[in-house]
Amino acid sequence: MTTAPVPTAKDKRELLRHTVATLSYRGGKAISNAPADFEDFRAADDSRRPGEILAHIGDLLDWALSIAVGKQTWHNSTPLSWKDETARFYAALQSFDSYLASDEPLGAPVEKLFQGPIADALTHVGQIAMLRRIAGCPIKGENYFKAVIESGRVGADQSSQRTEFD
Amino acid sequence: MTIEDKRALLGHFLAALAYRTQKALRDAPANFGSFRMEDGVRTPAELVQHMTSVLGYARTHFIGGHYWPEALSTFDEEVIRFHEMLGTLAQHLRNGDVLLDGMTEERLLQGPFSDAMTHAGQLALLRRLAGAPVPPENFIVAEIRPDRLGPDQADPVSPDKVWPEAPTPIKTEPGENQ
Repeated sequence: MTTAPVPTAKDKRELLRHTVATLSYRGGKAISNAPADFEDFRAADDSRRPGEILAHIGDLLDWALSIAVGKQTWHNSTPLSWKDETARFYAALQSFDSYLASDEPLGAPVEKLFQGPIADALTHVGQIAMLRRIAGCPIKGENYFKAVIESGRVGADQSSQRTEFD
Repeated sequence: MTIEDKRALLGHFLAALAYRTQKALRDAPANFGSFRMEDGVRTPAELVQHMTSVLGYARTHFIGGHYWPEALSTFDEEVIRFHEMLGTLAQHLRNGDVLLDGMTEERLLQGPFSDAMTHAGQLALLRRLAGAPVPPENFIVAEIRPDRLGPDQADPVSPDKVWPEAPTPIKTEPGENQ
């Protein structure tokens, strides 16, 4: 579906980019250093596996980009390996962030991009973090307001300067 | 970036948080608040208390002091207190109140606000693990408004027509709305 560009204050795009950087930082922490079999862990018979959730996050980020460029499309992907889904996660973040950083028009208001795919992805990061705990491989707590999170820094190379706790 | 733009977007963030939290709690079983997946995993009531705590922490950057909320006696009270905190925090944003101690809008977003959003996702996960999953919807068209922060959130505008993961008794057919 093609939509007309929506006039958007560049300022709001910048704060959305900071949210995307936050998603990268928090998501990266939740998916890093997971045991080899974590991607297939099931907390219940009918619950999603972490690998499925990470693939869904990748689909959400692809969807976000499609909305931003004004050609909204949704695709349910088949989960890749954890390693490949991790790479896809960062690549999709980079593509979306690069578009936000450009002068190209947005196909939807920033608020809609936030409340839809980006907020959704944040909730799923929280789910992966909870599944890490249930699976017996919890991530450390962190004071995220002190974290070095920078707009545009959306790859795997995040700051190691962290205020973590058990 | 103007402060007004930043504050408006943060207000929308809080509204999305209100909506998604209620989405995760709507029609939950009566005992959902005390559902304990296993030792070391927060119950829904503990999660909502924690969400109030992190937002209360954010509020201290407007008013100073500390905020350590005690557990309340019922889950309903926890949920009401959470929404009251959302409203209070949103009012500080709307007022243009000064942030203390070098706090910035970006740090509020990356810290307590995003923390609370991840916990809203955990509430939804616990619904699934408690055997009462939350039906999916298209959130981009959801009625999310910065002036609607209480427990009374809008019903979904666009619930998914197909819900493959629906529990057996209420599984929907393709093309049929929930």
